[in-house]
Amino acid sequence: MTRKKSGLDRRSFMALAAGGAATLSMPHIAGAQAKTIRIGMPTILSGRVAQLGTSSRNAAMMEVEKVNAAGGLAGRPIELVIRDSKGQPQEAARVARELINTDNCEMLIDAEASTGGFAVHEVARDLGVLCMHTNSETSSLTADPKLRIPNAFRCCRQGIHDSAAGGNYAASIAKAKNLTRWGVVSPDYAYGRDTTAEFLMYLKRFAPNVEVITEAWPKIFQADYTEAITKLLQAKPQALYSCLWGGDLTSFIDQSAIYALLNQMEFFAVNMADYTALTVVKNLPKGIHSGNRYIKTFPQTPANAAWGDGYRAKFNEYPTNWSWQNALVVNMLAAAAKKAGSADGKKMAEALMGLKIETPFGADGTVTMRAEDQTLIGYAIGWGTTIPTEPYVPGVTPGDWKQILELEAEWKKSKGWA
Amino acid sequence: MPKLSVRTELLVAFAALAVLAMLPAFTSSKALVDFVIRAAAFGLFATSLNLLVGYGGMVSFGHGLFFGLGAYSFGLLMQRTGLPIPVAFALTLVISALSGLVIGAICVRLKEIYFAFVTLAFQMLLHSLIVSWVPLTGGDQGLLGGIPRPTFFGVNLANHIHLYMTSAVLLVVGLLLMRQIAQSPFGYTLRMIRDNPGRTSFLGVNVFRTKLTAFVLAGVFASAGGTIMSLFVSSAYPDFAYWTMSGEAIFIIMLGGTSTFLGPMVGTVVLLLLNDVVTRITPHYGLVLGIVILLFALGLRKGITDFIVEWFDDRRTARITAADAEEGAR
Repeated sequence: MTRKKSGLDRRSFMALAAGGAATLSMPHIAGAQAKTIRIGMPTILSGRVAQLGTSSRNAAMMEVEKVNAAGGLAGRPIELVIRDSKGQPQEAARVARELINTDNCEMLIDAEASTGGFAVHEVARDLGVLCMHTNSETSSLTADPKLRIPNAFRCCRQGIHDSAAGGNYAASIAKAKNLTRWGVVSPDYAYGRDTTAEFLMYLKRFAPNVEVITEAWPKIFQADYTEAITKLLQAKPQALYSCLWGGDLTSFIDQSAIYALLNQMEFFAVNMADYTALTVVKNLPKGIHSGNRYIKTFPQTPANAAWGDGYRAKFNEYPTNWSWQNALVVNMLAAAAKKAGSADGKKMAEALMGLKIETPFGADGTVTMRAEDQTLIGYAIGWGTTIPTEPYVPGVTPGDWKQILELEAEWKKSKGWA
Repeated sequence: MPKLSVRTELLVAFAALAVLAMLPAFTSSKALVDFVIRAAAFGLFATSLNLLVGYGGMVSFGHGLFFGLGAYSFGLLMQRTGLPIPVAFALTLVISALSGLVIGAICVRLKEIYFAFVTLAFQMLLHSLIVSWVPLTGGDQGLLGGIPRPTFFGVNLANHIHLYMTSAVLLVVGLLLMRQIAQSPFGYTLRMIRDNPGRTSFLGVNVFRTKLTAFVLAGVFASAGGTIMSLFVSSAYPDFAYWTMSGEAIFIIMLGGTSTFLGPMVGTVVLLLLNDVVTRITPHYGLVLGIVILLFALGLRKGITDFIVEWFDDRRTARITAADAEEGAR
């Protein structure tokens, strides 16, 4: 048997080996760069607030398409892995853990309501992954230093901002129309109690004559508001404040119409100016005062109108307050990855500190991720009154961010958080 | 399940623990590790409810009270006192036992539907207390800031594998203890009370004391389950003490079966699997769960293990009958 001579000489072999080593290592680096980055997104896709969760998902997916078309996160295309938490905190925690541990997601977009948001926050604390809260408006989540972690950010509205802007707006109306006797109807849980207390604090600060003469605290997702309506009718306040939201707010307005309650007083509903509420109320009363949630006419810019129209054209429904927040987060992450030059969660977290980006949802066309408490500021915030047809809230008075920030700083100090 | 000697049961428990301990060596799946931790929490909770329902005939609609109480007591003790974990855990069990004693003293005298509803009332009382006592409990946002997990005896519960092993040990020890309780003279007295309380009383048994003891013990084991869950999510939420949590435990024992000791554990595994798989596929989890309940309620009319045990019994009976007939023919 003759031994077949190899066709390679030593030099060729060495060259091939070097080439092989290079192919093994270089494409690995290139592969890592191009490797899809999975982002986990726990949200509420079933139950009474499923519409909001769905609108979060839609908005995030719409922006992911755009970001991927532009090269993804530092060259890595994004793949969203979206799961239903059913609105239960323990399920939100489980799903968030599963997204990281099993589905190999490298970061989280926490599109949960407040309770689930706090649960996901604890998972982020535990696992140390980058976590962007997009729907929890409860101020303490980022304002309380005890809860703060370096890897979690809030990319959405915040209760204290809405209350400061709303209190100031309502006080100006109260003084102009001499509205001194006020009533309250808000949901009986942390968000309802806290937001109402903060709104009244600022209302009384700017209009010291205001007195709250009656309060009704219906349960969240309550079906029948007769008891609250009767209580308000008996007390006859001149003005009424509410932070009811979604189906609760529309049910309350529809049931109030039977008693002509809202014809007898000025109504300030912070969560009215969102298409989910505006388009669902059977006979939307004229003149309800509301904070903006999402409407395509505020900020009145071509970019915002185009975004609202684009969303509606794509999904055949109006965007919600949760939509813009989840759209924004994708752009925020893309900007952070660009600044960091990497899709690594830790580097992106550092890049997010103080990051300012251009967006249709900014009061002046920009928003900033404030470094000191890792929370969003500068988003469009304002109050106006409703009309029954499009554009629903034609003239929105913008909130003064300078004043909002001053009031927020005072509030933090009073809580011992600053 | 046939009666085994204590030694055999100890060996079975040890074998189960050994299998669980070796599991992480064979798989890198963190989902499986998470699954076992959750199964330990819900398994202890459901099996403890079965002590009341299956062995004592006391259908409690408020057993979630102890699950929530365990989670909150442990979480608050860890957050506010800085006690070592074993001490906080022991104190949690003591708090649950004392609460069970007071609540049970009122409830166990009541019959059937009244017992069910008064236990539910106590659960809703705790839930309302949790939601409204915001400075202590964080209200409906739950305990905020995470649960500290200082290392004890070299065990660091912030490490996922350590948490897994601790949960597995608590599950196996808890099940073993409940099994011993169920197989003890006390367990048989409890069954006797379930079947005929009047007759048992005439035999000189203090029915009230026996039922109360079972109520307290079930509460203690349920709170151990709540503690595991609080460590898993690093917090405690009002949902843990809500009536739906009790409903879930009732569904688990319906699904798994009430006549066998391991029925609730089987139910736990099946329900968690169902939850994890279905929520990945569709948001219509409730619809799928409803269909499964209907299948069990209208189709099988019993739990999984009840069905299996009866099937084996029927086969054995048929075999004996056939053998007898054959012998008779000869």
